[in-house]
Amino acid sequence: MFEWFKTAKLLRENGVLGMNDRNYSVISKCNKRSLYTLVDDKVKTKRLANSICINTPKMIGIIEYQFQVKNLLEIVKGYKTFVIKPAHGSGGKGVLVIKDYDGEKFYSASGDVLSFNDVYQHISNTLSGLFSLGGKYDVALIEEAVIFSDVFKNFSYHGVPDVRVIVYKGYPAMAMMRLATKESGGRANLHQGAVGVGLDVRTGRTLNAVMHNKPITVHPDTGANLMDLKVPFWREHLIIGALAYDMTGLGYLGADIVLDKNRGPMMLEINARPGLAIQIANGRGLKTRLEEIEESYPKELSAEQRVDFVLNNGK
Amino acid sequence: MKLANLFSVRKVLSFLLVLSVVYATYSIYYKVKYWGFSLSPKQVTDIWTIDAKVSFDAMGEDVRVSLGVPADNESFKVLSEEIVAKNYDVVRDKAKNRLVMQGRKKEGKQKLYYRLNIYDDVQNNAINKNKPAKVERPLLSEEEQIQMNKLWELAKNQDGDKVQGVIAAVNQEMMEPTMSLVLPLNHTSKEFAEKIIQILAYKRIPARIARALKLEEGKKNDSLSIMLEAYVDNKWTLYDLSTAKIGLPKNWVVFQRGGVSLLDVRGGENSKVMFSVLKSVATPLKMAEHRAKANNELWGYEYSIYTLPLMEQNALKWLMIFPLAILVVVIMRNVIGVTTMGTFTPMLLAMSLVKTGFVPGLICFSVMIGLGLIMRALVARLNLLLVPRISFVVIFVILLIQVLAIIGYKLNYGIISSAIFFPIIITAWIIERASITWEEEGAMNTLKEIFYTLVTAVVTYFVISSEYVRHIMFAFNELNLVVLFIVMLLGTYTGYRLTELSRFAPLIRKGE
Ligand SMILES: Nc1ncnc2c1ncn2[C@@H]1O[C@H](COP(=O)(O)OP(=O)(O)O)[C@@H](O)[C@H]1O
Ligand SMILES: [Mg+2]
Repeated sequence: MFEWFKTAKLLRENGVLGMNDRNYSVISKCNKRSLYTLVDDKVKTKRLANSICINTPKMIGIIEYQFQVKNLLEIVKGYKTFVIKPAHGSGGKGVLVIKDYDGEKFYSASGDVLSFNDVYQHISNTLSGLFSLGGKYDVALIEEAVIFSDVFKNFSYHGVPDVRVIVYKGYPAMAMMRLATKESGGRANLHQGAVGVGLDVRTGRTLNAVMHNKPITVHPDTGANLMDLKVPFWREHLIIGALAYDMTGLGYLGADIVLDKNRGPMMLEINARPGLAIQIANGRGLKTRLEEIEESYPKELSAEQRVDFVLNNGK
Repeated sequence: MKLANLFSVRKVLSFLLVLSVVYATYSIYYKVKYWGFSLSPKQVTDIWTIDAKVSFDAMGEDVRVSLGVPADNESFKVLSEEIVAKNYDVVRDKAKNRLVMQGRKKEGKQKLYYRLNIYDDVQNNAINKNKPAKVERPLLSEEEQIQMNKLWELAKNQDGDKVQGVIAAVNQEMMEPTMSLVLPLNHTSKEFAEKIIQILAYKRIPARIARALKLEEGKKNDSLSIMLEAYVDNKWTLYDLSTAKIGLPKNWVVFQRGGVSLLDVRGGENSKVMFSVLKSVATPLKMAEHRAKANNELWGYEYSIYTLPLMEQNALKWLMIFPLAILVVVIMRNVIGVTTMGTFTPMLLAMSLVKTGFVPGLICFSVMIGLGLIMRALVARLNLLLVPRISFVVIFVILLIQVLAIIGYKLNYGIISSAIFFPIIITAWIIERASITWEEEGAMNTLKEIFYTLVTAVVTYFVISSEYVRHIMFAFNELNLVVLFIVMLLGTYTGYRLTELSRFAPLIRKGE
């Protein structure tokens, strides 16, 4: 019992943000409930992002009703690759990335070969709400697949690395990159065994890396030295994050950003309740950062000015 | 200090919590004191039924029967009275505490019944304080006076107060020929009492006879015992005639006091009165109304849930335990920090466990979830749409329950048929949710989640299955208000969850 209080005290001293604190002191104070719909619906988010020139994968179409499912081939006509995802999905559920296809066979990014019927089923499931929060009816968003930049090739096993930037009151507060591993099955979810690499918000360089909450220095599957990681176009990454604040008004958000070979950093989604694992990846508490921003960062700057402020002053 | 600080949510809630605790404390005190509620579910109230059977032979004339009965709140509270006296006019003489029954032209054997239901020992001081008239000293011959003084001399050497001394002395010297004039001649207790009254009168101490009944389960055809009541130190005090003990012993009730006879029959002969005693028990909840009435606190009682019909009360009793169960879930999730399937699934599971019994319920539930998951895995290949698929699981669970119920019945094995009590929707939903988690997050995470759900359910079960807890939450339902504010206050708890302590442990940098 006493041990617990001691640990809690140490955590507090290290500025670690707990779940209750996040929900009560951060999310419920910074994020108005009515704003959630902007980010819970990926179609909405995408339209909004496009309207203020945030780079996102191009939307190919939406399938809203069951009868439209059979038109899939017509919708994706002219696109070599595409992604089907539930507009209200989360945690990568129901995201199907098609690398290549002909009339009958579809080759997914994870290496499966699917028939048209399988894809049809997948979309039907999506519409019926299998992948969405609370099982509500959903729509399937079809967008262009990102052509991932090769810079991270050695750092990820199969799946796609993405950058998560936590933005507090418009200022990038903390960042990490998630790398898939064999164990995580190509997914970038930390609790499934993906590697979390904490990135210095000022530089986009590795601070610390963890897998299953334990510090590591090399990728378990590819053997790449994680300490060498440096995200190119770092400023652009942060600007996307800062703009996401302008666009949604969410005081506390997590922007998921991937790097496209040709088009640069692209926003995949915004999260209104980003998790706390980023602290472990960074090896430091988030609360200290949030308080710093709250107390000493200027209030009325534009997105770019805020990013530059962080790049020059941030810790 | 900022004004906003003063009115912060947490402070307001803490204040309300304190208020609710104060209110609940008062209310519990009130209910215990005026309604007789008890903190223990096992406590029962003894109800004594006293039957007085009056019988006599009527002689063809008008009949008047007068029976001494206990005064209001004599030493017990009266639950109810009943008089069976066909064709008699019954009048209650409040001042003299007598029951008067009059009949016209009666003949033959007459039987009249007086039944009294009483409960709760009480001390009625009003009766004890009635001031007696001044006592006349008895006129005594010289010889008697000498003996009297001698007796008083002896009484002084005895333990206790004057009256006790006299009783003890008389008991001791019963056979003493030198004092035969002041001692009782024959040894009936009535004569004994009268002599002592006389002895006391010599010193101007008022005293009278009291007739009391000892309440003993199954007593039949008994008569009243005679005791002595003397006015000492400005109050009437009862004395036992053989032991000289002070006060009315527990479970005794005084029927009548003073020199008048207990039963007085005009127009009849061979009259006698016999007493029978029966004991029954009632829960404090059942007695609450009477107690509230007896204490003049009926108003509050009439607007409480305890006046509702029994069925509603039972439903409420069940409902009243929910807040506590919710509190457990809130603590498990927000303070301990375990993830459960759904917010209140564990609570509903716990409720089912109460109905099925703990071990049978757990076994049955595991079997259902296990089989359900297997079935769900099998149909997963069929690629059904979501709603039909969940519906399939629901129907499957219903069929499963049916089969289990039949098997349980045939094998005479209650464990299996307890399946009936699990809410199918919950079961189906858990299966569905578990199988999705299984696909998405792997077996480990699923098992973890099921495990935590069960642990939370079990903890909740142990809280709500306790008879004590259930009784207290129902009898003192204002505690739910306290629970409400605790839950709300927990809603502002921003400390770490227990599980986070180990999760974030790597973030503690040593030496800093
Ligand atoms: N357009 C895309 N091109 C390639 N991969 C994608 C695309 N969209 C999503 N993904 C993959 O799917 C994962 C989850 O997608 P995301 O949009 O973040 O949905 P979710 O809300 O379910 O997390 C991403 O991390 C990425 O690996
Ligand atoms: Mg995502």
